[in-house]
Amino acid sequence: MGLLSLLIFLPLLAVLAILVLPNRSNGSFKYISLAATLIQFGLSGYLYANFQPSESAFNAVSAYQYVEQMPWIRMQLGSLGTLEIDYFLGVDGFSLPLLVLSAFVMLMAIGASWRIEKSKKGYFALLMLLNTAVMGIFCALDFFLFYVFYEVMLLPLYFLIGIWGGARREYAAIKFFIYTLFGSVFMLLVIVGLYFSVQNPNTGAHTFNMLYMMDPTNYVPGSFFEALGNSQEILGIPARMVGFIVLFVAFAIKIPIVPLHTWLPDAHVEAPTPVSIILAGILLKIGGYGVIRICLGIFPDAAVDANWWLGLIGIISILYGAFNALAQTDLKRLIAYSSVSHMGFVLLGIASLTAEGISGAVFQMLSHGFLSAALFFLVGVLYDRVHDRYIYNFRGLASLMPKYTAYVAIAFFASLGLPGFSAFIGEAFVIIGTFNAESLSTGIPRWMAIFGSLGILLSAAYFLWTLQRMFFGETRLKGGETWANSLTDLSVREQIILFPTLALALLLGVMPSLVFGVLNQSVLSLLNLVNPYL
Amino acid sequence: MDFSYQVSENIDHIIASLPLIKVELALAFGFLLTIAATLFLDKTWKQSSFYISIITCLGAFVILLSQYNLQSSGFYQMLILDKMSFFARSFILVSLLIACIYFQQYFKDKIFNKRKGDIYSILLAAGIGLHILTMTSNWLMAFIAIEMVSISSYVLVGYFSENKKQAEAAMKYALFGSACAAVMLYGLSLVYGFTGDLDFSSQQHIQGLIDAPKVMVSIAFLFVFTGIGFKLSFVPFHLWAPDVYEGSPTPVTAFLSTIPKIAAIVLFGRIASAWISTQFYFSDLTFLFIAVVAMVTMLIGNLIALRQQDVKRMMAYSSIGHTGFLLMAIIGYSNGHQDILLFYILAYTLMNLAIFAFISILEKQEGSTLLSSYTGLGKTYPILFTCFSFIGIALVGLPPTAGFVGKLLVFSSIFELYQSSEDPIFLALLIIGALTSVISLFYYFKIPLYAFLKNSASSEETPVASEEIPASLRGGTTKQSSLSSPSYPPSSPPPPFNILYLIGILLTILVLLLGIFPSLALNIFSINS
Repeated sequence: MGLLSLLIFLPLLAVLAILVLPNRSNGSFKYISLAATLIQFGLSGYLYANFQPSESAFNAVSAYQYVEQMPWIRMQLGSLGTLEIDYFLGVDGFSLPLLVLSAFVMLMAIGASWRIEKSKKGYFALLMLLNTAVMGIFCALDFFLFYVFYEVMLLPLYFLIGIWGGARREYAAIKFFIYTLFGSVFMLLVIVGLYFSVQNPNTGAHTFNMLYMMDPTNYVPGSFFEALGNSQEILGIPARMVGFIVLFVAFAIKIPIVPLHTWLPDAHVEAPTPVSIILAGILLKIGGYGVIRICLGIFPDAAVDANWWLGLIGIISILYGAFNALAQTDLKRLIAYSSVSHMGFVLLGIASLTAEGISGAVFQMLSHGFLSAALFFLVGVLYDRVHDRYIYNFRGLASLMPKYTAYVAIAFFASLGLPGFSAFIGEAFVIIGTFNAESLSTGIPRWMAIFGSLGILLSAAYFLWTLQRMFFGETRLKGGETWANSLTDLSVREQIILFPTLALALLLGVMPSLVFGVLNQSVLSLLNLVNPYL
Repeated sequence: MDFSYQVSENIDHIIASLPLIKVELALAFGFLLTIAATLFLDKTWKQSSFYISIITCLGAFVILLSQYNLQSSGFYQMLILDKMSFFARSFILVSLLIACIYFQQYFKDKIFNKRKGDIYSILLAAGIGLHILTMTSNWLMAFIAIEMVSISSYVLVGYFSENKKQAEAAMKYALFGSACAAVMLYGLSLVYGFTGDLDFSSQQHIQGLIDAPKVMVSIAFLFVFTGIGFKLSFVPFHLWAPDVYEGSPTPVTAFLSTIPKIAAIVLFGRIASAWISTQFYFSDLTFLFIAVVAMVTMLIGNLIALRQQDVKRMMAYSSIGHTGFLLMAIIGYSNGHQDILLFYILAYTLMNLAIFAFISILEKQEGSTLLSSYTGLGKTYPILFTCFSFIGIALVGLPPTAGFVGKLLVFSSIFELYQSSEDPIFLALLIIGALTSVISLFYYFKIPLYAFLKNSASSEETPVASEEIPASLRGGTTKQSSLSSPSYPPSSPPPPFNILYLIGILLTILVLLLGIFPSLALNIFSINS
């Protein structure tokens, strides 16, 4: 059993332990989860430290490390040939930072669930199951395996939102589930199509291996998604473009892009704090990761044709999310819309198809991962104390909760892209990449970069305005004295969670090479895959 | 002289063919024994007929295993023994066994003033019919088998009717069934008139169809498909299903929604693969018919299921939806993918039997099959509802369950056809298949929604109202349960660990296991393909 398998299945062991232990010992569940996640975090850190960037092509196994490959399902399907599904894991510069991020955010989430009282057994078991699925998604290099983890992820989330959520949790949970499933069933059809189009060059069998799907020479001549000289069409749209669009929509729902984002505010508002942290910190990144690894990796030709639209969608998401955030009166909703806006940068960066842009997109995902987690955690702090998040119900919190205010201010400044913090690096690289795209003629015009920077300006506006509305001025609370008494400053536990997060934002803002060192080679090999089509 | 020579030759042939039906003979023997036991033994030992039927199923299964490698036909090509019929019959026998246990559990501690033993003989009789249905390509045999199954089903539904609604269901079922059978018989007579041959896969039969006038053949086809459509309950012959499923006792519903479908699908698959494979217009017609019916059935079944409040009625529409999907698998089967069809049938059987085990337990405990009566029960029966939710997930077709692998394989077989022919109808099938899976999520997830999500609403927010809600629900449900079943006292003590529970959990584990390691089953199914 390799290290990646250990990383994936360690939480599953924790699930078993939690399920087997009787309800009497429900105090131990959080410690079991914490221990499993701590080991995971250590393990992913170890993998990160020992990662050796390789110059191999994006579709070569040698570009991936800690690879584990063994046959999982082999069956003879008559005229369909042999079905070849592997248990195939491996990480490269794209997935490894996201693995570390996932372990980190999961730790934060467990810290945030320390006071959960309602059916702890189910809660921690589901949280660990989610952990397994998320790790699996980032490690899987077989499309079938990826899909299994992708769908398994939905179930614990449905229950976590649906059982432990707020007043409209049933609606939010099913809406989230339906949106994602709607994207993923059609993804399944594309997977089936790819399966028929791709052959393993060594065995001649059809395969779900993603790396084989990324190599145009492995496509069967005349097959549906044939990579070279494909003349298949659906309703007048080339088949490969259809495949790209379907996969993109599936992942775009996760990112989320603007017309498909409406599940996000509902899910965030209704979800309990730890689940919001996971949603913002990890799940949105699955969308971005999927676009990079799968849409760009498997359909680079279609991506090149469509990238103008991708960039446009990115811009729309940035601006629409920001304007919506300005209008919100619920703090959690505001942060949810700011997520939409910030994730728009990810899409814009990917669409630029330049090294700076894609690196910036990945960096932005990481930075947004722990910053939005911190923001949701901070909202949770307030909500835990007075069960209210309405911005106008608070004023002058600074004098009541000075430490809290300091953390909020740092988190806000970090999120709005103040130089010195990680979000600045991410957004700056995205905009540089977008700006350069025209000189590299990847099809993204310069005005998109300008609109992107407008998004940064808007995010400054809503964050600073919120800071001013809630924290400064004379103390005036809707709940009066009772609120003032219950609004105690941050506890040690809360600081233990927040401090490393914001420190990390600062650290990565000052030393982005910590990430770029691992990432760079993978970005270049991805671009090598894409560039021939430009 | 000549004639007597022929007679002895015929007798020789028949005697030589007899070993082919030893499984069915065993069932027939068991059928007679249960009748005798019901008449004489049941007075002294109540469960005798039940145990005889269980032993019959087991014995028949053991005998069936000896036919594993048998590829043969007998009785003048009237019966075909191949891998397809072997697997179909083994599914049928195992599900019959489980159905018998469901019946026994259902009636165990119930006052019921008719003889309970008769149920088992009826089940075994249906079993014989189902077996023959999977083994034949002869219209006459098929018709007899369909009628045998139908009559057994009428009896099962009607036997228990204790009130107006159940009687209405039974009546509807019998009338609708007989009408469909009559129409089918008329269609068959037309087909026989055109071809002079009753074996639908024979050369002469197909030649006859080619030569016959198109309009007449089309009409004959529609008539024939009516009869099969009734058994399979695809749209528009599905109207009986919801009423009958809801009105019958739960074990009858479990039986009706699962076991006859296995056999009917196999028969339909045989017809389809014999007829679709030619180059002539009736192949196109058959194909078009199946494809359109599959689409409409998937859509209608799943859409109407959304609005159901009773879990049995919901499962009726769900099984209509799954029939549509099975028809899609048949299109794949006619293209040579028997393993995919078999896998989907297996997955469907396991899922359906499991879900009815849970419904039975809950009906017994809570006295109702209304979805709203499950409100908050997730805490009382955590294991049961976890398994229940898993089966729901499998029915939607999400990984890691057998339902997902089945769906994926069916999609694969259809996509292969699309890739080679580029006929947009395959694409439409794929898209509707995918879309209806999303739709089905809404209603299958009502189960965990009520069991897990809704409970805290009443306990947390309005502790006072929570006492009222179950009471008012009970008020509503006793009305309902008096319709659907002779009422059990609504009580919810800790769940008893009985055999139904065990079967349900075992089936759930199997569904998950086959989802993670589908090769376990698929490698067996595909050996000879």
